[in-house]
Amino acid sequence: MNDLKFKERFALKIQYMAGWVTLPFWSTLLIALMRFVGRYRIQHLREIRRYYKNLKRTVEGPILLCSNHLTKIDSLILNWSLASTWSYMKSFKIFSWNLPERANFYQNYILRTLCYVGSCVPIDRGGSREAVKKSLDKVTYLLRKGHTVTVFPEGGRSRTGRIQEDKFTYGVGRLVNKVSNCHVLCVYLRGHNQKNYSDIPHKGARFYMNMELFKPESAYSGLRATRDVANQIAGRLVRMEQAYFAAAGQ
Amino acid sequence: MTREEVFEKVVEILNQYSKKEISKENISMETSILEDLEINSARLVDIVLDFEDAFDIEVDDDDADTVATVGDGVNLILKKIQ
Repeated sequence: MNDLKFKERFALKIQYMAGWVTLPFWSTLLIALMRFVGRYRIQHLREIRRYYKNLKRTVEGPILLCSNHLTKIDSLILNWSLASTWSYMKSFKIFSWNLPERANFYQNYILRTLCYVGSCVPIDRGGSREAVKKSLDKVTYLLRKGHTVTVFPEGGRSRTGRIQEDKFTYGVGRLVNKVSNCHVLCVYLRGHNQKNYSDIPHKGARFYMNMELFKPESAYSGLRATRDVANQIAGRLVRMEQAYFAAAGQ
Repeated sequence: MTREEVFEKVVEILNQYSKKEISKENISMETSILEDLEINSARLVDIVLDFEDAFDIEVDDDDADTVATVGDGVNLILKKIQ
């Protein structure tokens, strides 16, 4: 089942190639900005990369990353954490596509270009159903082709600083159900000084990152399965957040 | 089941999710579920599932996507129960 026209599939292929060819330039630039301007650090970076590398080797089927969402550059930090630029050069398929809000990231030429080469499929949240469906069809296609995709199931940055289960969109459940053998990698990411949501993380943030892989199964079908799977993902992320705060003694 | 009866039941269901107090007098078939009733889009699936239970119908993902106004919901239910 393919919901994309040849032209759209071809455009994604070109975008993928453009991203891969230019990767050393923009990846180095962005990582330098995060490391030296933001002074961001990822805790246990080596272990995280080893875990992800092993996962990509052993898991059969596409992986959908589902993460909590507190800043506008979460997907950048995720991709930086999961593998080195060199690893992405060797296999760009492990670089995660993501779905940024068009209104936030497509306002100027530089951001548009970075989003293009950085494997973004823009989405118009609250836009027409056709436009939203088209974006979701693209990521469904990419997942089926074995690419990795990141989604933020809360649909936006958490306004409370904690995972907002009531904001969870069931679209993530639909995505999983549409892609056979789809695994979900739940990721909990948080800067140590991140109390609430913000545009970018606070300077000097040290990022805690925890991951849990699972394959959602549902006894239901149709919309109930969609809701069930979305609830399973939400439940996991909430538990991961509780574990984070319990460990932090809060 | 008549259109009027379906409409009343739909209003009853929407009432559980809307931040506003709604009744069949203050909404119409053109009322937008998300904008006018201020219902979170994430709750649309719950609403459609409530339609399934209340009217003993089955709605697939694509049909669920068509529900934007109260009238969309009523028409979808009527189509399914006929």
